[in-house]
Amino acid sequence: MFRKLYLVFGAGVLLFYTASAWFGWEIANSGSHSRLGVPFIYTGFRGGK
Amino acid sequence: MSVLQANCPSCGASIEFQAGSTIVLVCPYCRSAVARTDRGLNDLGKVAEIADSQSPLKLGLKGTWKDIRFELTGRAQYRHELGGFWDEWYATFSNGWVGWLAEAQGRFYLTFFQPLAQGTTLPSFAEIQLGQFVNEVPSQSPLMVQEKGAATTAAADGEIPYQFTPNEKVQYADLAGKGGSFGTIDYSSDPPWVFVGQQVTLAEIGLGDAKPVQRDARKVSAAAMGCPNCGGPLDLTVPDQSERVTCPNCNSLLDVNQGNLTYLHALNPPPAEQQFLLAVGIEGTFAGDVKYKIIGAMIRSVTIEGIKYFWHEYLLYNPMIGFRWLVHSDNQWNFVEPVNPADVEQVAYIGAGAVVKYGGNSFKIFQDAPAVVEFVKGEFYWRVEQGETVRAADYVSPPKMLSLEMTGNEMNWSLGTYMTNAEVEKAFTVADLPKPWGVAPNQPFTGRFYYTWGFLPLLLLLVVAIFMIPLTGLTKTILNQQIVLPPMTNPQTPQVVFSQPFPIKANGNVRITANAPLNNTWADLDVDLVNDQSQEVESVNVPISYYSGVEDGESWTEGDQSQDAILSSLPAGQYTLRVEGTWENATQPMSVSVKVEQNVNRGVNFCCAGVVLLLIPLLNLFRKISFESRRWKDSMFGSSSSSGSSDSDDSSYSSDD
Repeated sequence: MFRKLYLVFGAGVLLFYTASAWFGWEIANSGSHSRLGVPFIYTGFRGGK
Repeated sequence: MSVLQANCPSCGASIEFQAGSTIVLVCPYCRSAVARTDRGLNDLGKVAEIADSQSPLKLGLKGTWKDIRFELTGRAQYRHELGGFWDEWYATFSNGWVGWLAEAQGRFYLTFFQPLAQGTTLPSFAEIQLGQFVNEVPSQSPLMVQEKGAATTAAADGEIPYQFTPNEKVQYADLAGKGGSFGTIDYSSDPPWVFVGQQVTLAEIGLGDAKPVQRDARKVSAAAMGCPNCGGPLDLTVPDQSERVTCPNCNSLLDVNQGNLTYLHALNPPPAEQQFLLAVGIEGTFAGDVKYKIIGAMIRSVTIEGIKYFWHEYLLYNPMIGFRWLVHSDNQWNFVEPVNPADVEQVAYIGAGAVVKYGGNSFKIFQDAPAVVEFVKGEFYWRVEQGETVRAADYVSPPKMLSLEMTGNEMNWSLGTYMTNAEVEKAFTVADLPKPWGVAPNQPFTGRFYYTWGFLPLLLLLVVAIFMIPLTGLTKTILNQQIVLPPMTNPQTPQVVFSQPFPIKANGNVRITANAPLNNTWADLDVDLVNDQSQEVESVNVPISYYSGVEDGESWTEGDQSQDAILSSLPAGQYTLRVEGTWENATQPMSVSVKVEQNVNRGVNFCCAGVVLLLIPLLNLFRKISFESRRWKDSMFGSSSSSGSSDSDDSSYSSDD
């Protein structure tokens, strides 16, 4: 059961990656309106002034 | 066949020597062994009745071997010096051959007389050693001494192709080779006779339809043949093969001889807290829908560094297959079956690092210690005794375990296969067997899938990444403009400049790079991408700072004159950059080079997906290392290098499938 779940999970990750590449989604982005960005790898932050 | 009709010299009844090869015929009327000689018939004396047996064979059965028909025309029973009988059937072939079909513990060996080349001298019975290869005996594969011993001719029936003398002691050596090759050296004549052949199944010799004698367990009644000590009744499942039985009423050990019981002594009580989980007498269904009955059980022990470790063994019996074992140790289970010693490639020593090969697998040594019988219950096909000690060495290749048991006269290899509690519970329809603790020597690791096939998604990710590069297009610059922000009238009031309009295509990420010739100062740019049609704005912050200097004679820099920000794809359309900036030298204009690119291959998505897909394989790799460490900590030869043990992907061992 876990093996199948793992394979489904792996296939999901692959599918998501492929979709991201095809549609130009960036999981780590600096956009103000992005719903995809991951805060902790927010690339716009370069430290304080 | 040359048929000789004559009268029995003992009783005068008419007897017939059917085969020309027959030397001795057992008179079916008076059971005299009648020998045919040049000078007539000799009476060799009375022959005992064949002991009851569940053998599927009987006189008159017809089979084929290598397309040559044969008939079973005679049978002799031998008594092993350590107890137990075995049968030898004589197969008279249509072309005149005579074959010996030996039957022991459910296995069959078909052999033929093998004349040796002139001048060949075999090692004597005293010289021949267990494990020694006897190259003088011609065979398809080298034959190794598996057993040497003495037997006594006990009974016979039908026609025997040699001088069968009742109660004659015969010394022999059994040889085994790879692929089921088998041989026997019979030291009863000088020079010894050699018989060579192989292990066969009844189906292979055209006797696959033969059925075992079906009968109820022989009930030894209290009045007739009860326990000689207490008179209690006993059930014997295999009275023709059992040599020892324990009385459940008075805990005596009894000798079994043709169903006759002799009291030997009272059994010592079992070690404290050592109880059998399965009852003698119950039946279990194993792989292949094969039913085995538990006919005996024993507690054995090894002592290592002064500590005694116990385990339980159950003797299983199936009339068509013979004897097997179910071993219970630390609440772990193994189904054990005998293997041909010659099929085991062993090293010359037993000790640290020793590896033996069997069936294409390498088995690493795990334990080597004297194993002692502590307690017995039920019936056994050998003369078991409390305190009986053998040298036992275990080699593991999960889920298999090869075990060697050696005495002075015999060496036996057996192959154990790990069984889960659930499998044992299902086999015997029992419930709630105690859960195992620790890791069994041959317990398979069930997570191997995740660090083998589990890497498949990672590999596919790499393939997809490579293929997506040309599909999504290469990086394209869509704006490259030098803009100048005028001096700020107030350090808190940023200046704003717009770029020239530029097109953005759908489905492509966007990278905005700003480059300013700063030195030891900073600038902070808020960049808005404004869709000229919808006026929707996407904002990013691009802070730039660059500092440099010399300290203690060494130059240093911090920050960069160029910074970028990345955006997910935006709706296609015409866009303008709105650059709003503040900077340290507010009175000076700020020159900034702004570049906008699409379809930038960054690898961040790839790395994130890779990390996610690596988690479970890596986790299971660590689990595997820990599992192997726990396995080998109980070994006399424990070694972390053993972590490379093979595992099974068999889902039957999996706890998660």
